[in-house]
Amino acid sequence: MQRRTFLQRIGLAAAATAVITPRTVLAAEAPKGPNAMSLDAALKAITGGKKVTPSDKVHLKAPEIAENGAVVPVTIEVDSPMTNDDYVKAIHVFATKNSNVRCADIMLTPANGAAMFATRIKLGSSQDVLVVAETSKGEFLSAKQSVKVTIGGCG
Amino acid sequence: MAERKSLIKFKPKKYKNGEIVKVNFMVMHPMETGMRKDKKTGKLVPADYISEVKFFFDDKPFTTMQVWESVSTNPVFTINFKVPGEGTLKVVYKTNTGEVQEKTKKVKPKG
Repeated sequence: MQRRTFLQRIGLAAAATAVITPRTVLAAEAPKGPNAMSLDAALKAITGGKKVTPSDKVHLKAPEIAENGAVVPVTIEVDSPMTNDDYVKAIHVFATKNSNVRCADIMLTPANGAAMFATRIKLGSSQDVLVVAETSKGEFLSAKQSVKVTIGGCG
Repeated sequence: MAERKSLIKFKPKKYKNGEIVKVNFMVMHPMETGMRKDKKTGKLVPADYISEVKFFFDDKPFTTMQVWESVSTNPVFTINFKVPGEGTLKVVYKTNTGEVQEKTKKVKPKG
């Protein structure tokens, strides 16, 4: 019986630490960088309080599991005719849980021919990558994908 | 400041007038976030990242990027470009430390 209770206690302790540690680690892992900005503040600065609608027109390509968070390839394509009347004005890329959520803001013109942008970004932990595309008509379209990161890329 | 290594590539390599090509712009840059600690001294490495990239065709800007520290080391920026004819493509980039550099490549459509 002693052995059984001992094992039970160990099991309980392990479960408790497993529950507690991820939270404390996460809390300790969020140092504020010089440009720290929250997602809400960044979105407000860009949209000016307008509504952002999820859309099929925005195609975000990112790996579901990224082994190295320091190099996560991201490709964004937006369906648009790219004429003088109707084109994609800007593409904004956000990493929702980084200290500074803003990754890049790309201002496009009809001279681009097609709305596409690709780069490699750093992700500190597993999180969603959010893309907001601004059209010349003043619409804000978005797409989202979660990326699992095995090794964080910041710090 | 010494010139950084940078490169402009067109994909595909051979293109016609009016065709949409991919323009790759690569820079060798550390992209320090300002949050990393130096392992030897234990002090924070100051932030040093590319903050702005501008693409020009014959001195007319057609794409502007505002970039933050979340972009990877030695970044690659890919955009599309509709070739309007012969000319020069120029990329100018700035860092948060005030460094400004540029790179040019001639656009020569065939046919």
